[in-house]
Amino acid sequence: MTHAADRILSLLLLGLAAFIAVQAWHLEVPFSYDPVGPKAFPLLLAGLLALLAVVLFVRPGPNGEWPSGALLLRLLVVMGLLVVYAALFIQAGYLLITALVSVAIAWLFGASPPKALVGGVLLSLGSYLLFTYALGISLPTGSWIEPLLGAN
Amino acid sequence: MFDFLIQGFGVALTPLNLGLAFLGALLGTLFGALPGIGPINGIAILMPLAYTLGLPAESSLILLAGIYTGSEYGGRMSSILLNVPGDAGAVMTTLDGHPLAKKGLAGPALGLSAVSSFIGATVAILGLTLFAPLLAIVAVKFGPAEFFALMIFAFASMSAMMGKDPLKTLIGAVLGVLISTVGVDSGTGVLRFTFDMPELYDGIDFVVMIIGLFAVSEILLMLEHAFRHDQDGEMAPIGRVMVKMSEVLYCKWAILRSSVIGFVIGVLPGTGASVASAVAYTTEKRISDHDNSFGTGNMRGLAAPEAANNASAAGSFVPMLTLGIPGSGTTAILLGALMLYNINPGPMMFREQPMVVGGLIASLYIGNVMLLLLNLPLAGVFARVLQVPRWLLVPSVAILAFVGVYQLHSDLMAIYLMLVIGVFGYLLRKFGFSLAPVVLGFVLGGLMEENLRRALSISGGDLAILWQSGLSIGLWIAAAAVAFIPLFAGRLKARFLPGRTA
Repeated sequence: MTHAADRILSLLLLGLAAFIAVQAWHLEVPFSYDPVGPKAFPLLLAGLLALLAVVLFVRPGPNGEWPSGALLLRLLVVMGLLVVYAALFIQAGYLLITALVSVAIAWLFGASPPKALVGGVLLSLGSYLLFTYALGISLPTGSWIEPLLGAN
Repeated sequence: MFDFLIQGFGVALTPLNLGLAFLGALLGTLFGALPGIGPINGIAILMPLAYTLGLPAESSLILLAGIYTGSEYGGRMSSILLNVPGDAGAVMTTLDGHPLAKKGLAGPALGLSAVSSFIGATVAILGLTLFAPLLAIVAVKFGPAEFFALMIFAFASMSAMMGKDPLKTLIGAVLGVLISTVGVDSGTGVLRFTFDMPELYDGIDFVVMIIGLFAVSEILLMLEHAFRHDQDGEMAPIGRVMVKMSEVLYCKWAILRSSVIGFVIGVLPGTGASVASAVAYTTEKRISDHDNSFGTGNMRGLAAPEAANNASAAGSFVPMLTLGIPGSGTTAILLGALMLYNINPGPMMFREQPMVVGGLIASLYIGNVMLLLLNLPLAGVFARVLQVPRWLLVPSVAILAFVGVYQLHSDLMAIYLMLVIGVFGYLLRKFGFSLAPVVLGFVLGGLMEENLRRALSISGGDLAILWQSGLSIGLWIAAAAVAFIPLFAGRLKARFLPGRTA
């Protein structure tokens, strides 16, 4: 139950408001019949945000617990897994990368290794069949598989 | 006057649309019941499905509305059986629902909540049918200045009523509006906040935003939850599945009163199920709690919030369909979905799109009956969903999120953007923000700026146009009133009831 987090947040929001204001100010406006233009609305919002941030600084509220230590590490690992999933989604192909990521996530969420392995593989296969045959979505096969298929 | 409804039943009763209403109800119940998912996440995750199937606008809206109402039904399961509310609207359901389950009355409690939900939704859908065309007639008189004032009113009433912290609700709404300004400015063609990334020229895509904000952040929160409490609470056995007629009759006035309360609160823009169920519960406690048994498993204490919850869900369609102002975070998502079909919600929608509006309202009637028929006998089956282990659920959510975004864009940038938004959503939730105002701001932001600028170009830049008509003055006063009343109400209570803390 600390108020520090809200204070930090309010400073971040102030920074954001300033950033938006500067960005909006530098928008180059071509001639138009619109009396308001693209600048005014973001500037108005930046002002409002700055005002609210100041109020938050003066009257911060209690916050929940913030993750630290082992939990923070796990959160970062899961986020990292999702980034890997995104990066290899097309190259590695849906079936392979989905199975790998599912197994890893399942294991991180406390499944025993055999359970995670079976669950992840089945999830990947089942969802592939569901998406391709029932819903007609085309999913990436993977750039390393395609030459093999082409060779046949 | 009710031509739209007759036309609507014509649309909704085609085999395809009946099937979709059923599918939506089923999927909605399942996803609403999944531990930690809850209604709003359920819709966010399932929304891309409606596009994948390549459906016409009215059909996909019917599917989404089925998912919406279904997930409200499903959300009560974890409240009653596990004492874990799926979203803010379900908190009140736990108060008497879980004690009932502990007494061995889990089955009847589920049945009673299905019946109350059905009655609440029916009352509200009737209200929607009668009230929406009337409001649409008034709404035609709205010009851009009135719309701008109306949106200010929506944000004011939202910050006053939604969530624990009005300040953070407002900040969240402003952040949402700011995100909506990214991309090409429609008035002048100037690029705003795109940082030379072509992917951002069209603005941040709605589906990417919603899935990132809700599904990805939910994955991170579920990890925390799993880490801190290794096991969920013990699930109460279901027991006898059917609710007795006498038990329903015992609650009949509670249900009817709460249905009306729920509908009225649902109609107010910006206030959703959480306010409705809280007001209904406290009202009912005051009226019919003679032996102080509310909170220990009184059936009325369960029936009241459940009826109000579902009544407000249907009620929030009134401002969405007539004014284009969503009544809740969830209807904001539905509204965004409509806009993707190039349907501009607003006063003209009733005239220009009678098929869509009528079909939607008719499908609410149909979906509601389906939900009752599904939920009464199958409560035990749906309850099994609660036992889906997290290690299987989380990868499934990730898969749905990735495939949902990929099949719309076939583009890795969209997926990365989704992940970034997910981290943003997670941080917001950790800072104690609720996500509904952010979504509302995001959806309304574009319309808000457009109307402001249209009004000012009519007046040639004179700000006075914003408060020139009687209608807009009324809306400004109403906005000021809802924003300040809670402040004064707190002071008055403190002055006159010194013994109680507000």
